[in-house]
Amino acid sequence: MSSPVHPVSLLAVGAAAPSLRLTAADVGAAWGSGGGRGQVAVCDADEDTLTLAFEAAETALAAAGLDAGELDGLWWGTTRPPFAEGPSHTFLATALGIDPGAAGGLSAGSPHAGMDALLAAWDALAAGHAGTVLVVASDALLPGPGTAGESTTGAGAAALVLTGDNGASNGSGPPARLLGRASRVRPALDRYRGDRGAATVDTYDGRLFREQVFLPLLEEVGRVLAGTDPNAAPEAWAMSDPDGKLASAVARRLGSTLASTPVQAALGDTGAASPLLGLVQALAGRERGAVGMIGFGGGRATGVTVAVSRSLPGADRIGAVLAGGRPVSYTTALRARGQLEAMTEPVPMGVPPGSAAFVRGNQEMLALEGARCRGCATISTPPSVHPTCTGCGGTDLQVVALARRGTVQTFIVNQTMPAPFLAPLPMVIVDLEDGARLLVQGSPADAADLAIDDEVVLRLRRYAVERGVPVYGYTAFRSGLAPAPVGAVSTVRTGEEGP
Amino acid sequence: MSWNRVAVVGAGLIKFGELFDQSYEQMAAGAFQAAVASVDKGFDPKAVEAALVATQRGSLWGQEGIGGNTVPSAIGLSGIPCTRVENACPTGSDAFRIGAMMVASGVHDVVLVIGVEKMRDKSAQEGLLARAASGHPVYNRGETAPVLFAPFATRHMHEFGTTREMLAAVAVKNHHNGKLDPYAHFQNEITVEQVLAAPSVCQPLGLLDCCPQTDGAAAMILTTAARAGEFTDKPVYVAGFGVATDHPALHEKSTYVGLPATTLASGRAYAMAGIGPDALDMAEVHDCFTITEILDIEDLGFVEKGKGGQATLNGETALDGRLPVNPSGGLLAKGHPIGATGVAQLTECYWQLREEAGERQVAVRHGNALQHNVGGRGSGVSVVNILTRNR
Repeated sequence: MSSPVHPVSLLAVGAAAPSLRLTAADVGAAWGSGGGRGQVAVCDADEDTLTLAFEAAETALAAAGLDAGELDGLWWGTTRPPFAEGPSHTFLATALGIDPGAAGGLSAGSPHAGMDALLAAWDALAAGHAGTVLVVASDALLPGPGTAGESTTGAGAAALVLTGDNGASNGSGPPARLLGRASRVRPALDRYRGDRGAATVDTYDGRLFREQVFLPLLEEVGRVLAGTDPNAAPEAWAMSDPDGKLASAVARRLGSTLASTPVQAALGDTGAASPLLGLVQALAGRERGAVGMIGFGGGRATGVTVAVSRSLPGADRIGAVLAGGRPVSYTTALRARGQLEAMTEPVPMGVPPGSAAFVRGNQEMLALEGARCRGCATISTPPSVHPTCTGCGGTDLQVVALARRGTVQTFIVNQTMPAPFLAPLPMVIVDLEDGARLLVQGSPADAADLAIDDEVVLRLRRYAVERGVPVYGYTAFRSGLAPAPVGAVSTVRTGEEGP
Repeated sequence: MSWNRVAVVGAGLIKFGELFDQSYEQMAAGAFQAAVASVDKGFDPKAVEAALVATQRGSLWGQEGIGGNTVPSAIGLSGIPCTRVENACPTGSDAFRIGAMMVASGVHDVVLVIGVEKMRDKSAQEGLLARAASGHPVYNRGETAPVLFAPFATRHMHEFGTTREMLAAVAVKNHHNGKLDPYAHFQNEITVEQVLAAPSVCQPLGLLDCCPQTDGAAAMILTTAARAGEFTDKPVYVAGFGVATDHPALHEKSTYVGLPATTLASGRAYAMAGIGPDALDMAEVHDCFTITEILDIEDLGFVEKGKGGQATLNGETALDGRLPVNPSGGLLAKGHPIGATGVAQLTECYWQLREEAGERQVAVRHGNALQHNVGGRGSGVSVVNILTRNR
């Protein structure tokens, strides 16, 4: 047990879930085993742990009323980042619009990654290295077809805005404060994936894992935290819950309430996001008291307690996140996860993702940049192909972040797309709020009744997995939970003159 | 102008279609031989002083690097000066324009313009659909060929009340004309009902709103007006031409109910020819999709902006209409072998002005015909040529 040097507060929270839901009964039926209860959240083909992290981060920032550019750091925890080795964190930070000089890092390797990210951010704040930061935990793990984990492995993301400033200038004080933390380890092989494995391997023996690893570790962490400050013992717990039953067993042993059950019931085991999503659930509707969370993964359990002074901005939105989602068949889920692929030749991108066009294009694509003419104010997109203004031919241009909301100028719905495209695929010409215009893909969910003048929001999505590499872009969404734009419209990135 | 006046004295093409049994070289030779055979007073191939080859996409048959030497070798003229021209969908019409300038300049007296395109050596999946992956690595992702034009249909319908039936009327008319053209890829009538019931390709466009992928070749022989009499007593002259460009990305258009490049190019061509659309007897315009012809006839000044759909439905552009458009069947029925398309359209104009078009012959009152292409990234290139039989 350690004590923070500076108190660290929680300003706002966010949550996100992917768009598909798969029932355990459908999984069971597919394998002839029958039965199975509950459901899990599954990423559609254009979603992954990065897009989930982006969604949760945007909702948390909107709830905090902060622009990403004001943050001093981004800590992201995900068991399996989109690039096993590569620019996962950089991509997320760039898409969110976080300052290139901000602190932070990526935690990965086990479902404990979400807690690792939280502790790292806490330490940085407590040490005074950062003022206000974002912690994101997300996962979209790939269970092996036919494994027990297939009926329980879900996907989701949670984000916390933390500050070390403690609202000194704000009379009302922060809504919640991080209280205590505790960790315990047991070097046991539970769920894992080797370097060559595509899918996560299930635990070897469920009862062995329950009795010798999970229950004792989490119970001990819970008891340590509850005993630290008897006046601030958690009234409710959020916990990692690999099979939907283990966490309630721990809560019973602790003689306390399990608050994360609705998250598990709606989304399944969300891996690294699980304890943080559970915390958001525990905070929803709560105006005082203490709550705790315990995350588990890779043989490590870590608990954190939180003291609540007033309702947490963003927490109440979790109800809508859990209630959403589109039920799909087992085969649809397999296709979406890339576990069932057509034996056709997919159309490769014009250039490989490691090529110069992407090196030039990734920044302007992820940060959604345009070249604004200082002469006539026309915004030409993207900057790399517009050395001169499309409006007046001027060359005095500055790179700006584009608005992420707009209206449909015109659109089509493409029905004849070779793999890896999936029809129907709308393509939308969007008039953005800042006067810029873009051609982007639209959401298939909007294909049936999209119309000119519809309002749309641009959200980060995975366009393709190209030569094994995820490629991201923005998609225009009309329906569903549309997050507020990232901060102000058309933020000028000072110091960047382009192109 | 101090340029030489330019005359067309021969033109020919091969039957368009999925020519699986012909190579690029065989198609070129077929079109060249047809053009040579068409010259009224006979033509010695050795009289060709220079040639321009119009081919847009060698990659569709695995040969991007075609250069200027492939066709001369195939047609028995290896050694002549020859350059390959590429300028998107107007490739063939631009090659003609440049060929006319070569003659007009006095550098060459006899120039061959030949368009050849092999579209079907690759499957549709590996062919044009593969452009879904082209352009900017991300911004253009998913932009297949119909995506270049279908958004204009959506917007045209929204602003002017244009209907899918009006779009269908373009396909029905052009298939009717194609049935009368022995060179057309499709030679069957279709109905409005069939067009509306066809599978959706790219909403709001269905299969019959789209031109096919067609192999083809066409050739024309150009010379000075002064020397035309050596070859024919019925030459057709180049009255004017224009080419224009627009921004190459779809999101950079100033309008989604018209193609500014067409308006610019035709304005230049009309000015050079000293005529307006009222003095035309017929036009071959770029109808890669039904909506494109509606945009074209508005942008070319044939009808008021927004009235193209109704005018087509009213039969104003039919063979016996006020101004027949695409008597050859157009790209929709005759086909769209890209580099050959413009040259074949000009061949149709040549035949119509000489009143040799058989069952699809239009009434020639003014002696003028217009040919038009538009295309490329963002439909940002347009070429318009105007031919006349008036000396």
